[in-house]
Amino acid sequence: MNRSTTVLMKIEESATVLSLLKSDLLPMEAVLSEFNSKLQSSSHLAVCNSLSMMLQEQKMLCGTERLIAFGIIYKCYSSQKPSFNPFLSEMISAACNEQLEKSERAFLLHLLQWNNYNNVKEILKQSAVDYIRSFDPSTHDFPELGELQREYGDKADPGPSSHIFADYSLKKLLHDPDVPRGCDPDSPEFDVQPGGNPRIGSGDRDEALSGLLENSTMAGLAPRWIRPCPPRYSVHQSELLWIDPDNKHELVWDDKMCADTSRGATVRDLLVKGLKMTLSPSEQEDITTELTNDPKLVYHCGITARKLPQLVEHNPQIAVEILTKLNNNKEILDEFLAALVNMDMSLHSMEVVNRLTTAVELPKEFIRSYITNCISSCENAKQQDKYMQNRLVRLVCVFLQSLIRNNIINVKDLFIEVQAFCIEFSRVREAAGLFRLLKTLE
Amino acid sequence: MDSRDSSSAVASDAARDASLLSEDAAVLSVTSTLAKSALSCFQSGKFEDCIDILIQLDQKQHNDPKVLHNMAIAEYFKGGCSKSKKLLEELNCVKKQSEELASAAREQVEAVNPGTNVSVSKDQFDSTVTTLNIAVTWFHMHQYTKSSSILEPLFQNIGRLDETIALQISFLLLDIALACHDAVKFLAVFDYMDKAFGVGFGSHEENGSTMQLSSNQGSKTSSLLSSSVVADTVAESSLCEETLDYDNVLAEIAAEKRMKSVGHIPANNLLKTLSERSFSTADLKLELQLYKVRFLLLTRNLKLAKREVKHAMNIAQKRDSSMALLLKSQLEYAHGNHQKAMKLLVVSGIHKESGTSGIFNNNLGCIYYQLGKYEASSQLFSKALRSCSSLRNEKPVKTFSLSQNKSLLITYNMGLLYLARGEPLLAAQCFQKASVVFCRQPLIWLRLAECCMMALQNGLLDRSEIRVNVVGKGKYRKLMIEENGHLELDGSTQCGKLSLPLARACLSNGIYLLNESLLNESKSDRESTLSVGMNETKEASSADHGEANTNSDLKEAKGGLNQDIMQSSLSAFKDIQSREKLLIKQALLANMAYVELELENPIKALAAANSLLQLPDCSKIYVFLGHLYAAEALCLLNRPVEAGAHLSAYLVGPDDFKLPYEQEDFDQWRMNTSSDCEETLDSSTGNARDSVFLKPEEARGALFADLAALLATQGHHDQAKAMITHALTLLPNNVQATVTAVYIDMMLGRSQDALTRLKQCTRVSFVPGRLEVRAS
Repeated sequence: MNRSTTVLMKIEESATVLSLLKSDLLPMEAVLSEFNSKLQSSSHLAVCNSLSMMLQEQKMLCGTERLIAFGIIYKCYSSQKPSFNPFLSEMISAACNEQLEKSERAFLLHLLQWNNYNNVKEILKQSAVDYIRSFDPSTHDFPELGELQREYGDKADPGPSSHIFADYSLKKLLHDPDVPRGCDPDSPEFDVQPGGNPRIGSGDRDEALSGLLENSTMAGLAPRWIRPCPPRYSVHQSELLWIDPDNKHELVWDDKMCADTSRGATVRDLLVKGLKMTLSPSEQEDITTELTNDPKLVYHCGITARKLPQLVEHNPQIAVEILTKLNNNKEILDEFLAALVNMDMSLHSMEVVNRLTTAVELPKEFIRSYITNCISSCENAKQQDKYMQNRLVRLVCVFLQSLIRNNIINVKDLFIEVQAFCIEFSRVREAAGLFRLLKTLE
Repeated sequence: MDSRDSSSAVASDAARDASLLSEDAAVLSVTSTLAKSALSCFQSGKFEDCIDILIQLDQKQHNDPKVLHNMAIAEYFKGGCSKSKKLLEELNCVKKQSEELASAAREQVEAVNPGTNVSVSKDQFDSTVTTLNIAVTWFHMHQYTKSSSILEPLFQNIGRLDETIALQISFLLLDIALACHDAVKFLAVFDYMDKAFGVGFGSHEENGSTMQLSSNQGSKTSSLLSSSVVADTVAESSLCEETLDYDNVLAEIAAEKRMKSVGHIPANNLLKTLSERSFSTADLKLELQLYKVRFLLLTRNLKLAKREVKHAMNIAQKRDSSMALLLKSQLEYAHGNHQKAMKLLVVSGIHKESGTSGIFNNNLGCIYYQLGKYEASSQLFSKALRSCSSLRNEKPVKTFSLSQNKSLLITYNMGLLYLARGEPLLAAQCFQKASVVFCRQPLIWLRLAECCMMALQNGLLDRSEIRVNVVGKGKYRKLMIEENGHLELDGSTQCGKLSLPLARACLSNGIYLLNESLLNESKSDRESTLSVGMNETKEASSADHGEANTNSDLKEAKGGLNQDIMQSSLSAFKDIQSREKLLIKQALLANMAYVELELENPIKALAAANSLLQLPDCSKIYVFLGHLYAAEALCLLNRPVEAGAHLSAYLVGPDDFKLPYEQEDFDQWRMNTSSDCEETLDSSTGNARDSVFLKPEEARGALFADLAALLATQGHHDQAKAMITHALTLLPNNVQATVTAVYIDMMLGRSQDALTRLKQCTRVSFVPGRLEVRAS
């Protein structure tokens, strides 16, 4: 909980403090000034902390040691007002503790400068042993705890940390005497006898003291809060990245570099327009002339297979013009023709195919599939609209007659298909005409 | 386009031009001949020759931006595609120059005949290609937002552009949108493509009946397989050798065909290269269908994705079906059918290509991760990373290999894996690397913070024990409970660069980004909030996380238009996203509160906990954490009464707590992290266990313990004693509760009880005072 920095005493420091505590024959003043000279002020807090903890245990320190320990705590904060001493409350409660020696309580009252206890300097000139020996309890009266607390308590500094857990932290040792069962741990028989063999359960007080000095930490025992760590945010399946290969986005070479851009610019613009509306005769003528002048222009005039259907719908003549020019490039022409087959049947598309058949020689399979498509379009048009269907059938009949008359197709290849078509739509006059034409060719 | 001509045609063409046209035109034809040979050098990979020609051209056409542009491209390839920054500088320079020239030319024209809107120099100073290339380069540097913002103006006017360029821009935008999980943008682009290029798209039956006119070799075979049902089952049901061979043949054919492509480095893998010639209508149709599936997968509309991927398989059967199979595999993966996903992944055959084997390993790694097989998964991810780096170092540069460099994505997966395995240092390294790509996503910041916190937990394992110093011997033996002192002694908090302040920084990044995106969302959705809001309330009650996030319950818009289907997927996905954002926000705030508490910053911790508690539809687990953190922060701020109020939210009766959350809330979490548990972890990696969250009963125990601690500080030791006794029955051996109990015992003057308690608790270590080794 409280992670305030821990101050631990160094081994040599604790040894010094221990030896000072034992200097009960020296004037206390001298002991305290030696403390000041040997320990840096930065470690004062830690020392006081340990001492205060040991002072709470009445049996840890003997009478003279307790005096010196309180003296050290006093000394560390003597330059400030008593209320700044973080250990003030412990000094107060010790001063009022009936169980303690009166000499010690009087000593504390001197340190606290309570009322007429004001000759602290005089007292410190004595050694601890002398002070106790010369102490006369009859000359002293002791205040109530409440009195002292009123005097100092509300002025007391809250100490190094200020939240409630730290405020209420407890600096206490737990007794855990390690003596044989049934023995009185307080019996002096368990003290280490000089020269004697150590026996089970015996302990050396000095060793314990230095151990405490070394190990004690600033923080006391406080209630602890359970602070669960938040759970790890769960990995949804989509967080784990499944990768698909991208399209390869390559850097593109600018193929318009140094291209003759003026050439064909007008044609390109006109053709863009021609995808959306019928061009005027003069515009159409412009395109035709330009295309004738520059046979290569057709490849970069902006018309692609995908755009062809739009051109066919709006400007069939131009479409024918372009398709004718593409005639020597079989691969591209195939692509354009495929677009033609796949587009919806219309008067214009048939017109284009019809005119194309007269201008260039078209691949047989193209014409075949185009006709198949025409016929199936007529059949599919059933669902739509009778009028539209009739119209389409008439168109197809006229178209087929024209192809047959011009010897574009060999009737034998398509005979059964066309005948079935004529029979199906015999109600249409043109279909009957086509049927008669077929009969004559038989 | 010009390159379509055979070389002899070029020569005769040039000759004719030269003889017929004026001198000016003659110069032009010389340069255009040079330009053509530069292109052919470029295409055959002779970059040095190409650059030489371009230098000649530059001398003739001084400062022609297009020459400079192509020069920059050629130089880049010559340098092995490594100097992307330099390329960007040059391209930006060219772009600026052509824009200046264009505006100068426009002024000139207008000065001559004002009022006419002439597009004379449109082509000459057109910077579209340059702009596209800039965007492509940013894309490969994973700077998707930048790339997208550069393309945006082009996309606005896409109708006016050349078809090839338009396609390239569109596909790039689609991939960017996918990379950013931006379904809205994706749909905008896709709609355009569907209208502009999707010939007869969406009607299924025509695809069997269409006559294949082109002399495509594939079409002959395809007629055998044209029955869609047969084709589908063949691919699905077996690892049939024939199918695989067939695919390979097609891939080779496709690759060969692409060798002739215009304006591109010849490519020889099975992935599509965009170019005018190689993209027939049918290819395009397949491509669009595949993207549609990817969109549906992105929006987690699995039901429709299944249908559409079938359709894609039908189309692909005539061509290259690897991508369709891959998507099918992804679909099964999303369904949790890991075996099937694995099978399909193998059938897709992408592991045979060096360019995609990394992707294969990554995806397989994902599957193994889901199966909880972390060791295998880790090996696969490492393998994937290795093949990515070998691809990058391949010489000579055959393809634009950067484009398949997915290493940063794989690195992210690796990070998740390390996190799951409880290795925060390695995980953090991965996330830090991957942040180049993901830095705009709040989740990666949460993950980084989690790494820090995990490192903290791992480093401070001692914290889970009570240390008792044993001082003195025999009669003088004393116990000194040291609970706080070991922080500096450990020295292990300095786990690499991970620290709590870093966690705090990451979390605030995440919160900032999330708030930003939530703000944008609410701005853009203001019109359509009505329908979204209704869905949300309906689904939010069903579950908080996990399975509910699949879009499968979506009303199937059968027979509906393409657009409608996708639109409804999109809006359902938006719901999912906003729900996920909310979840991430809860996690971010909870972590923030925790980290601030750890950093002893109760004011900020309280703020974070309070915002967590104010979130609408907050999951119960996070509400519990919010109360607990807020209460602790308030204690630290000396406001015990308010702290008590947070805890008493869970009180039933005067001295009993209800469960702060139910078993099912907890199961939801466990289910989502269940893969963590499947692998039998040995004790050495047992740290991962620590992150397993409190069970509901344990959480109740925590409430007792915390209230006990609070009461103890208020001097109500007897009440506190009762509480802590409850707590310890629910959480026996809990360190904090034991300490509190010891404290209360001692305050009640029952130090003998305290002693017994300490000696009985298994998590107390008694440290002999003298043996402590100290460096100083």
